[in-house]
Formats: sequence, C-alpha cells, structure tokens
Amino acid sequence: MKLAHRFRALGALALAALSFLAPPAFAQDGDKKEGDKKDEAAKDKKDEKQDEWFAVTGGDVYTGTGAVLRGATVLSKNGVIEAVGHEVEIPAEAKTLDATGQRVYPGLVAINSNGLFGMTSGDFADSVDPYNQRMLLALASGITTAGQSNTALKLKRRDIKNVVLRERFLATLSFTNSNPSGKLEWVEKFDRAARYLREYRDWEEKKREQKDLKEPSSSGVDSTAKAILEGRVMARFNATRRGDLLEVARLAQRFGFRPVIDGCVEGWTVADELGRAGAYAVVTPRDRRDKEEQLVRDGGSSIENAAILHRSGVQVCVIPSSTGVDLGGIAGRDILHLPIEAGFAVRGGLSDQAALESITIVPARLLGVSHKVGSLEKGKDCDLIVLDGDVMHYQSLVQYTVVEGKLAYDKSAELFYAHIRPRPSDQLAPEARQDKGESDEKPAEGAGETPGDKPEEAPKPEDKPEDKPEDKPEDKPEDKPEDKPEDKPEDKPKDG
Amino acid sequence: MMRSMLVLAGLVFGASIASAQQPQPGDKGGPGLALLTAKALVASLEGEQVVDHAVILVRDGKIELVGPRASTAVPMGYAVRDLGALWCMPGMIDLHSHVGGSMDINEMVYVTNPEVRVRASVIPENKEFQRALGGAVTSVLYIPGSGTNSGGQGILLKTGLPKYEEAVIRDPGSLKVAQWGNPERYLFGVGKTWENWHLRHMFTQGLAYAKRWEAFEAGKGPKPKRDMRLELFRELSAKRTQVSTHTQVAQVVMMTILMIKGEFGIDVYIDHGEFGGYIYAGLAQQMGVNAILGPRNVDVPSRSMIDWVSSNPEKVQSLAAGYVEKGHKMVGFNTDAPVIPQEELFLQSAVNVKYGLDNSQMTGVRGHTIVPAVTAGIAHRVGSLEPGKDADIVVISGDPSDPRSHVELVLIEGRLVYDPQRERRRF
Repeated sequence: MKLAHRFRALGALALAALSFLAPPAFAQDGDKKEGDKKDEAAKDKKDEKQDEWFAVTGGDVYTGTGAVLRGATVLSKNGVIEAVGHEVEIPAEAKTLDATGQRVYPGLVAINSNGLFGMTSGDFADSVDPYNQRMLLALASGITTAGQSNTALKLKRRDIKNVVLRERFLATLSFTNSNPSGKLEWVEKFDRAARYLREYRDWEEKKREQKDLKEPSSSGVDSTAKAILEGRVMARFNATRRGDLLEVARLAQRFGFRPVIDGCVEGWTVADELGRAGAYAVVTPRDRRDKEEQLVRDGGSSIENAAILHRSGVQVCVIPSSTGVDLGGIAGRDILHLPIEAGFAVRGGLSDQAALESITIVPARLLGVSHKVGSLEKGKDCDLIVLDGDVMHYQSLVQYTVVEGKLAYDKSAELFYAHIRPRPSDQLAPEARQDKGESDEKPAEGAGETPGDKPEEAPKPEDKPEDKPEDKPEDKPEDKPEDKPEDKPEDKPKDG
Repeated sequence: MMRSMLVLAGLVFGASIASAQQPQPGDKGGPGLALLTAKALVASLEGEQVVDHAVILVRDGKIELVGPRASTAVPMGYAVRDLGALWCMPGMIDLHSHVGGSMDINEMVYVTNPEVRVRASVIPENKEFQRALGGAVTSVLYIPGSGTNSGGQGILLKTGLPKYEEAVIRDPGSLKVAQWGNPERYLFGVGKTWENWHLRHMFTQGLAYAKRWEAFEAGKGPKPKRDMRLELFRELSAKRTQVSTHTQVAQVVMMTILMIKGEFGIDVYIDHGEFGGYIYAGLAQQMGVNAILGPRNVDVPSRSMIDWVSSNPEKVQSLAAGYVEKGHKMVGFNTDAPVIPQEELFLQSAVNVKYGLDNSQMTGVRGHTIVPAVTAGIAHRVGSLEPGKDADIVVISGDPSDPRSHVELVLIEGRLVYDPQRERRRF
C-alpha cells in the first residue's frame, strides 16, 4: 500500500474533507464557475478543492451485483466510484491500496444495529461519536453502513460530516392477530387513505376543466398510512407466526405496498403469499422456534427459511440475533458476524450470491440508500472491504475497510486483530525491514517477490499520530452505559 | 445426479424405517454397508487423518475398515451407498451439555452434591438431541448445573438413540465440579478460597472412603459402611470416570490442575474453559489435564467492556489458540447447551479458527471428535473413524466447521437416525 500523499499538511486535508463531503456543493461550484466569477477568488477555490483519488488495485473484485473481476481496480474520486475494471487509468496523484491476491467486496450493510455510533441522542447528526471503539470493531468486521433507530448511517471514523444518509423511512405497524382491534384500525386507516388518494388524483385530473371543483379534504386521513401508500415510508411489521404473516401479506396486496417483515420465522410456510406481496424479510437464519404442538400443518423455525423465501421472490435481508457489539466473549452471534449469520442461510440452501446480497444490497434497499451503497458500481460511494479470502468463509478477516474513498480500518494498524495471521509485510519489524533494504541492495526488488510481500513504504509508527491518543480516553466513559439489556445476559457467567 | 443417487440408495437403505423389524445394512444384525465418500475425515489422534476417495465398511453397528477406494474391496453382500462428493466424519462429541432431559439438574442442596445423578432426568432422543443431529452432534456429556461446587454425576449419552439403555455410553459420565463463576450463588459473599476448601474437603473424604473399600477388597481391612454420598469416589479412584470441571479464569484453572490432579491424583479435565485459563495451558499439558473450551470462545480487552476477565489481553484472543500456542495438544470444544444451542457445537471451532487458532492439523475437527473422546475415556467407542469403533458417522457437504456446510445423513451405531431427504432439514 502506498500512501505517499497521506501525510499531507493536516490543514489541507481538513479543508479537502470539508469540501468533498457535500456532493451538492459541487454542482453549485460548477454553476458559479460558469458564471461571471472568473476572478482570483474562483481560482483559489479550485486550488483548495483538488480531486481526491483513491485506487484499490489488483484484487479480485466481487461487485455484489454477481460480477467478479479478477485482478481489477476500483477507482474512487472524491469518495465516489469513478471506475471498476481492468483498464482503469489511475491518476498520478492517487493514493493506492494494493489488494493483489485478496478479495474486494462492497462494504457490508447492517439493517439494524445499536451502539455503533456511541452514546447518541435522538439526533444522530449532532451526537455521533466517530471515535467510538464499537464503530472501529464494526468497520473491522466489514460493516460500512448501518441502520439504527429508523436512521441510515455511514460508519465514518474521525469524521462527523454527512453521517446520516436517511431518516424516518420506516413506520412500524402493530398488525397481529393478538390485537384484532388494532388490526381493524389499520385496515380502516389504509382504506381511508387509499380513498383520499384516489379522490385526490381524480380531482387533479378534472380540475383543469372544472376550475371550481373542490379539493378533497384530507381531514381524518392517517398521515402514516398515506405516506406508506405514496411510497414515501415503508411499513414494517414484527411478525413471526404464519397467521400474522398471512394477514400482513394480504393487507399489503390489498393496498399495494411492499411490507418489511421483521422476524418472519414461519415465513417459509407462506413464502408464496409473501412473494406475491413483494415483501422484504429481515431474518435471522439461526432463529429457533418449536412448532406449536397442537398444529398439524408445518410450523416453527426452519434453517431453510431464507432459501425458501428467496426462491419465492421475497427480498431476504439477514441480521444476527444480537444487533449490538457483544464483547462478553461468546463470539459468532452478534453484529460483528454478519457473514457467519448469512452462512447459516447458505446452510439452508440460499446461494452464495443471494447470501452476499442479504448483507449488502438488500439491506441497502431497505434503508433506501441502494443508490449509494450496497454494491461496487460506478457512481456509488466507494465503500469497500478487502479480505484475505471469501467474505462468507469463517476464517476470512477484513484487512482493510474503505469508506467513501478513505481508509477507515487497517487490520495491521489496529489493536484487535493485527496478531492473527499477520500479512507477510507485517511480520518484519520496521528495523528488520530497513536492515533488509540496506544489506540486500537492489536485486531483491521484484525478484521472486509477490506484490503482497513488499514491505510497506508508509512507516507504521506515524500512522495517524494525532488520532491514537484520542481513542482511549474517549471510549471509557462513553461505552459503559451503552451496554444494552439484550447483550447483558451473555455478559454474565452462567451455566444453565 | 447426486440427488438421484441418494434417492436410489435411499430405496435400498431407508425402506425399512417404516418396517423396523428388518435390520438395515450397517445396523446390528443387518447386512454390511459400504459408504463411498469423497473424503473421510478419520480424525485419529495420531497418523493420517484424511482418506480421499474412501470406502467405509460398516457391519453390526461397528466400523470395520476405512481405506482408499482404489485398494479396498467391498465384500459380497454389502449394500453400497455412493455419497458422491459428500464427506464423512465421526459424530461430534460435546462434553458440556445440559439439554439431555428435563431441566431439574441444578440441585443446590449442599455445597457439594457428588451423590446426585442426572440419570433420573434423562429424556433420550429429546427435541434438542434431534436438532443436534442436524449439527453433527452424536454424543454428549449431560451434566448437572454449576449452582454448587459439585452438582453431581453426569452421564454420557448418544443423541440419536431412542431407548435409555441404548443411548447410555457410560454412567457415571463424570463428576461435575464447578470452581467459581457460578457456585457463588449458593451463598452470598463467598469466593474462590471458600469454594476450593469445600472441594478439598469433598475429595479428601471421598478418596479416603474409596481407599477403605479398596483395602477391604484386597483383604486388608474391615468392610466399610456404605456411604451413598461417597460411592462415586470408588469409580474416580479406580479411574473408571473423570472429574469434569467447570473452571474458567486462570486462578481456578490453576487450582483444577494443582488440586484435583496434582494433590488428589484424580483424572480431571478443564470443561467450560474460558477467559484467561490459557495462561496455565503449559502446566495443564504437563499434568495431563485436557482442555475443553466454551461457550466463550474469545478473550477480549476488558477496557470498558467486561471487568472480571483475568487476563485482559490487548487484543481479541481465541481461547483455543491461547492453549495451543502455549503447547497444549489436547484442546476441544463445548457448547454449554442451551447457552449455545446444542447443534451449533461446530461454530465453536469456526470462531476459534477465525480468531487465530491454527487449523492446519485439523485442530477444529479433532477438537470436536477424538479429543473429547479421549478426554472422557470413551475413545474405544467413539471419536474417530477407526476399525472396531461405533459406526457414528456424519455425512456432511464440506468443512464441518463451516456454517455453510450441511449435514446430509447421520448414522449412529450403523443405524440411520437422520436423513433430510426423507424429512425436513433439522438444521
């Protein structure tokens, strides 16, 4: 990895960050330039805003769309993917990351999470803690986008700009057989909203001819139901049992919206109905639920749930049972193990590709940010992970995480996993590297060395010197209260 | 192709699940069975652990032979089942499980309860066991809880056999001892020193009792009065069973080794091994104390996270890697089911490998099979695909530690006990 430009004057970096992170600003600047401001001020501005290039080269690129490009390059310009391919011209000033022999995937997307952004208040934009240790752990596990409290958020280390991607896009509806009156209420709300929308469209059409036609009244129309029918908000249901799932599917089919179903444990028994409703299912493949004993029909959980739902056209999104970072020591079941959870869906028959989609593009769609994240395509944010193997294999570890064209995590530079299967270049201590360079003179260069073996040029010790000390003091007080009740039980010794 | 072969074989093989009178090929009293497999993970303690393109011959519930297809002749009359690209491995063994029956297994009557037996609560082939077959688990040590320093006697069971007398591998399977981490519940304000005093007291009493009986049996003493509370110690003294110790942090792992093994000379293993116990891995290896680890599988920095971890490494540390790196050679895994579901035993090795355990010598698979078998003293029956052992064979689609691999068939003692071609996949 060459990061020659990495330690540019800090001020310039900060300025660059300020200006690059707001895409709409570019358009504005463009307008100004075309206008009459061809004076020095504009020229200065141009100098400040040098394009920031970042290239990940030589890796096998799994774009997430099904395509695999071996030994390809992903080029980022100002945090947005400029090109993915083999014949990509890399600007001389680009920072590059050599991923030869490794695999490149889109950053993972966790549909639900908690605690990754520190002690946040209701307003994430004002309260995200970009030095949070749990965010670092999540980046180390490959997550670059996560949902929390009805908000889609980007995991940005040491940066609080534009962290919020989208807000208030889900409306959770209580619609179960255990609450019949609540169910009826929602049917009436949808009915009223649908009627209003019909009348409104009708009015819009006719008012051209009949100027005095009165606009239909929206009084008594539920705003949530209306927003769902208009497609501005998605309806989310907590449903696990077959009966409830069928009701949700019928409601959605009747009123023409796509439901998001959390849990969906018995979904496999009514997968065709859910498919017809165009449902999204947020499933935990390892869910365990016994079939109710008095029932004759199929029921309970099934390891094949995700596969059967997918086969029926349901968009399957996978999330582990614990959506927080569980550091109680029982690893393999929390948000840091998204691919392992998806691996259980593969066990049940889901294809590798669909499993990858279940932790990338499908949750991105659910969060309403699939135009920016979830796959490696031109025009999307350059959020990617580099691994030493198949992202779905339990042994693979994330080597690098890149968020919007910036290195957010480097395994060998961080505390947690650096000691595990160190990269060849890490096994040489800095002094040894120097010694080798001096004594071996030239011929060693390139002869018999794979690109991955090359000692890193960027000296490790000066790696973000000003950030390191801040990690520690900030984390201690902030993380304590973050222990959510759902993680608690595993933190205690117990033995059944 | 694969599927049709399986179906074909199923006709030969499975036809009489319905008519149970006729023993199946491989089962006791039935004709022989030859399994053709792409890879047999033999998992022996020494020697070659993998045979590619293998034949496994099974007869009367036992493994007769495992050899390469090229040089192994299938005897006349054997039913042949070609498993295509599927692999075979010995059934997995979990030495720390609480799901063998009804859950009344944590009798907190005295500080130590060595007389209490979980036998009374066993439900063979219960729901958890049925699911466990989908996760390749064929044998478990069903043990009492750790509410007291000694919860009683465990029992070694096969998961897939329906009758108690068939399912029992050995009773008593172990004496369950718990050193810190849970027994504090018994009274409040007690700690490691008090707990270890009670254990020392129990072992001293128990071994003295056993010695009196041994003296009597050798004709060197009077007949002792029978003490139901201490009967088990005769088994322990004669090394017919072991102590399975719920021992977690370094301080009590050290006491497990030095007290139970060193001071009393009783066969003991670290069970439910967690946290910083690996600090004493060298001593454990030297003293012959095997390490069965779980349900926690990693040690993490305690900073702002969890305060009572004794080691507090500044990294994420696989526990098994911690033991192996310090020279321990007998490392296995447990679930503590239902803390981790019984069928997810395999994930324990996967997570340990992810976080640093060297898996190049099949450490993961062996830690699920031969290591626990040797540890519990049942390696003459289970734990590897070797001639003379029970034909507890799991047919699996690939690497057993990989969540993506699925179990295609399970045989226990040559009997087909799980076949997802004929029922819904259990896991």
